[in-house]
Amino acid sequence: MSSIAQKLTGGDLKGLVARNGIFIAFIAAMIAFGIGSDKFLSFDNLESVVRSSAMIGVMALGVTVVVISGNLDLSVGSMLSFGTVMVVDLHDKIGPGPAILVMMACVLALGAFNGFLIGFVRLNSLIVTLGMLSAIQGLTLIYSGGKNVDIDPSTQDTTWFRVFGRGDIAGVDMPIIIFFGLALIVGMIVAFTPYGRRIYAVGGNSTAAVFSGIRRRRVVFSTYLVSSFCVGVAAIILGSRVMGSQNNVGQGYELLVLAAVILGGTSLLGGSGSILKTVIGVLILGFIQNGLLLLGYPYFAQWIVTWIVIILAVWLDVAAKRGRLLSSIS
Amino acid sequence: MNTTMRNLIAGTTALAGVAYAGPLLAQETITVGITQNNVGVDSYQTTYEQAFIESAEADPSVEAVVLDAGGDVARQIAQIQDLVQQGVDALIIWPTNGKAVVPAVRAADNAGIPVVITNSNIAEEGFDFIESFSGPDNITQGSRSAEIMCDKFKEMGIESEAKIVQISGQPGYTTAIERAQGFEDRLPEVCPDVELLETQPGDWNREKSQRVMEAFLVKYDDIDGVYAGDDNMGVGALNAAKAAGREGIIFVGATNFAVGYEAMGRGEYWGSIYQSPVDDAKNALATAKAVVAGEDVPFLNYFDTPKITQDNMDQFTKPVF
Repeated sequence: MSSIAQKLTGGDLKGLVARNGIFIAFIAAMIAFGIGSDKFLSFDNLESVVRSSAMIGVMALGVTVVVISGNLDLSVGSMLSFGTVMVVDLHDKIGPGPAILVMMACVLALGAFNGFLIGFVRLNSLIVTLGMLSAIQGLTLIYSGGKNVDIDPSTQDTTWFRVFGRGDIAGVDMPIIIFFGLALIVGMIVAFTPYGRRIYAVGGNSTAAVFSGIRRRRVVFSTYLVSSFCVGVAAIILGSRVMGSQNNVGQGYELLVLAAVILGGTSLLGGSGSILKTVIGVLILGFIQNGLLLLGYPYFAQWIVTWIVIILAVWLDVAAKRGRLLSSIS
Repeated sequence: MNTTMRNLIAGTTALAGVAYAGPLLAQETITVGITQNNVGVDSYQTTYEQAFIESAEADPSVEAVVLDAGGDVARQIAQIQDLVQQGVDALIIWPTNGKAVVPAVRAADNAGIPVVITNSNIAEEGFDFIESFSGPDNITQGSRSAEIMCDKFKEMGIESEAKIVQISGQPGYTTAIERAQGFEDRLPEVCPDVELLETQPGDWNREKSQRVMEAFLVKYDDIDGVYAGDDNMGVGALNAAKAAGREGIIFVGATNFAVGYEAMGRGEYWGSIYQSPVDDAKNALATAKAVVAGEDVPFLNYFDTPKITQDNMDQFTKPVF
């Protein structure tokens, strides 16, 4: 009997809890909300939560890659506003296909600029992307002249652009398919390719990585391309879902995205973390907000509970690594 | 001696003449300085500025100095001080922050320059230092939205059983609070049996509002009406209902946006409140002129924001924002 238990737990129940704390917290939260509200575990609700988390989730995939390499990207919220305004505005002017291409090119250029300053010039990523947060917001306002943009209502139901936010394949909503599909691709690259290992190496020990022959500058540069690519995809989903955009639509999303990444257990110090964990982090965040809403809690409860969950997740993560709850240094 | 005396008399008379003509000339053209919140951040503020400049140019008695704080409190305070230094006849302020500008407003008042606040009011402790507030009455807007909703339910014959949800603006914003308050106070007066199931904030963000509405649709099997703090959020809620295939819900918003106007035209959105940035700007200028001319101006000088529904929308032009 005990040998089965040992096999299941790897002989170390504490270690199992510590290693998989985030999964356990996820399941516990789902059960708690399921008991609290009979609607919570309904298929409609689960689908709705995953669908509305998909956009934040897609952005979190890219940011995870950046964070694993030991850097930050706080410009993703502004970049999302920029991309969404651009793709929606160009949709009626040059058609959906070219609009997507032009927008992706511009967003990738912004990512490349981030990557150049952080990878090649080697400026601090916090400062560069914090600066880009306001610079890109300014760029968006210059582009739109302050006006909201909308796709012509008469074409909203007919344009193929609607597929990304409103379509489905065999009943599964398209944003969900895009999120999980992209997570699978990015997750495979990060976990199983030499390129993925280089990202971990650079984040874990930058100097050692350089001495092992890894071209650090290129690796860092490329992570910002991945991040901006994901933002571009999120902008397509958002534009298609809403069929319009405000100039500040992505304002504050950088922190939501970062919260999901941290919640998943990816360390801000770099060198550890995974795409799967981020996916779980995104879902936990989405389900907490949805669950509290279904239980009828006011919105500020969501903010406080989200904060508590993040702190607990980070604490659990640190405690598991050092084997005790409090710091051993007095 | 004689000539000197004559010259002196002539000189003083001329001086007196100038001194006398001074106020007369000032009455003919007055200088109005305005510092705006953040032009370019949204279409409303962009249109407001254009309308303000146009009506100032069309009025020969007004010279306007038009500034914009770019959403920056410190810059706005510096602009107020500059305008005070320039000695404008009246100062119009669109506060970036209702509390932070109070000391600068007090300084302007001490310098003898009448201050008019436009669009969104300053904090109450500043009321002693301003002549008038010119802007929309958000409580009235909220109560009118409640009336629009109630009238429609009566027309449909469901006023005794209808259930509604509310999506409010950014928590903490006066506009959001007042609109919700106006709606919640008026609804039980006109339609006592309509039940407000729940209120959640949509943060003036269409995507957020869409997400909130998706959750409402899952949570409540029966929703007859949605009140949103502005049309942008209202259209987000409409998107969610369309995607979920829930038909027959009555959508009522506030601050009629172009998207809301168009959705009304398609018969998907019932009504809203028409708030024109052009009226807002004209009202601010007129208030400032009246204050300088010494006319009796109400302390809260609201401009009218009428109801707009599918029934009367042809009387209104499509909003530019």
